[in-house]
This record gives sequence, C-alpha cells and structure tokens, in this order.
Amino acid sequence: MNSDSTLIVAFCCEHCAYAAADLAGGLRMQYPSGIRIVMLPCTGKADPLLLLRTFEEGADGIMVAG
Amino acid sequence: MIVAEQKTIDEVKTLLADARKVLVIGCGTCVTVCFAGGSREAAILACSLRMASQLEGHARDITDVTVQRQCEWEYLDQAADQIKDAEVILSLGCGVGVQAIAERFPNAWVVPGLNTKFMGLPTEQGVWAERCAACGDCVLGLTGGVCPIARCSKSLLNGPCGGSEGGHCEIDPDTPCGWQLIYDRMEKLGKLELLMDVQPPKNWQKARDGGPRKIVREDLKLHHEE
Repeated sequence: MNSDSTLIVAFCCEHCAYAAADLAGGLRMQYPSGIRIVMLPCTGKADPLLLLRTFEEGADGIMVAG
Repeated sequence: MIVAEQKTIDEVKTLLADARKVLVIGCGTCVTVCFAGGSREAAILACSLRMASQLEGHARDITDVTVQRQCEWEYLDQAADQIKDAEVILSLGCGVGVQAIAERFPNAWVVPGLNTKFMGLPTEQGVWAERCAACGDCVLGLTGGVCPIARCSKSLLNGPCGGSEGGHCEIDPDTPCGWQLIYDRMEKLGKLELLMDVQPPKNWQKARDGGPRKIVREDLKLHHEE
C-alpha cells in the first residue's frame, strides 16, 4: 500500500496533540499527505459513532491523540 | 424504566434478510437511558450495518431516525414518510414500540433490534436490575417497598423458602434473596410484626395469567356527540 494513498485520520486534542502537530508544521517537519489532522476540543469527543463514520467515509486508519 | 439490550448484529442481519432499503428507528425514552436503542445507538447500528453490507458486496440504503416515544402513535406519525418509504423497519424500541409501528403502519414490515428484558432500574453505572413484574395488584405496601413478586425467584408471598442461603437465592449466589431483603428492611423499620400475617394466595388473573390486559378510563375518553 502506497503511504501517500493511505488515508489516516488523526483526531487530536486541541490542548496538546493538536498543538504538537502545529509545532511540527512550524518546524517544517514532513509527514505523508495521507494523514489528515482533525482538531477535537477533547479526545473524549472521539465517540464510537465518530470513529465508525470516519471508517465508513473511507479512512484506512484512525489515530486518536490527546 | 423498560430495560432492553441489543440483539447481536448477526441476528439483526438475519432479520433484515436481503432488504435494500432499511430504516433504523430509535426511541427517545426508556431504551435511550439504558443505552440500548436511543438516537446514538440507532446511528451507530445503522452505520455498522452500512459498512457490513458494503463489505459483503451488496450495499444497502440504511438510514436512522429517532422519535421521542415509539409507544405512542402521535410520535411515530412524525416519521411516517420515512417508515412508509422503507422496505424493512428495524425498531430499536421495546416490544411495545415494535407493535405500535406494526399497528400504526399496516403495510410496514417491522422487525425488532432489541430484546426487551424487564422493568427495572440502574443500580450502578452499567448495571440494571429487575424491580417490577407488572402483576397488576401491587403488594409493596405489605413488604416494606421490596417486591416479593419481582425479587423472589419463586414470587412467594410468604417467604423465604429453604433455598435462601446467607441472604442469597439458591438459583445464583449473585442474586439476593428477595425475602431476606424484605425481612431486613422490615426489621430496620421496626415493622417485623406485619410479616406475621400470612398472605392468602394471590389472584394471578390480574397478572399476565389472566390474558392480555387493558385499562379503560371513561373519564379520559373522548366521547363524540351523536
């Protein structure tokens, strides 16, 4: 599987992991284009329905970071 | 509340057979608060079924809607268009909800997504226990508010029986003896002498044994002028 065509959705907590991703961007760090970062107000918001719908819409994998 | 739990997804898929257009209908009352068939569960089940059907190579049109109470036709009417449009209605209501849909929509094919278990209450987060058996002739006034019908495995009116061991029922060490609960409570309330009255056999005709039950309140009925 090509890493660029693999779609990974990363649900990141606004207060920690998203800030880390922001910092990574600021430092011009590279990561595959198939990774999509979605900010959540808290990873407690990552309920089963959100994860199921993400897979249903075509994600190959999900990362929850918080 | 009425307490229910979801059927397995395999059983649900069997009930849906090869239907192409399915409506999952949740209920916003009892089964919402016991996390079996509310809007969240309806949406999750619909999503799971859609993905399952895609994986099996025959994508179905599966949508979901939740009404406030499936057991009242007026609420069901709000989803009438969706109900009439679906090939199969998967009800996440209790057994009353399923039948309310069948009665209100004579042409709808409705199947149950839940197993309705009992009337009870949550005793702790994630645990529900039976409390009422709807016997039709309440005896809680005799037993200090602990029901011998629902909580004694034999529904004894004069207990406990010889199967009560250390406060537990012989059917299962995790099941408290209903009559031990009654005795302990009456003792605490200083009303043990009330248990000296031997209760006569109960008239079970007022329970399910008397056939389907109905209440008619003439004072509430709408009387049309002739």
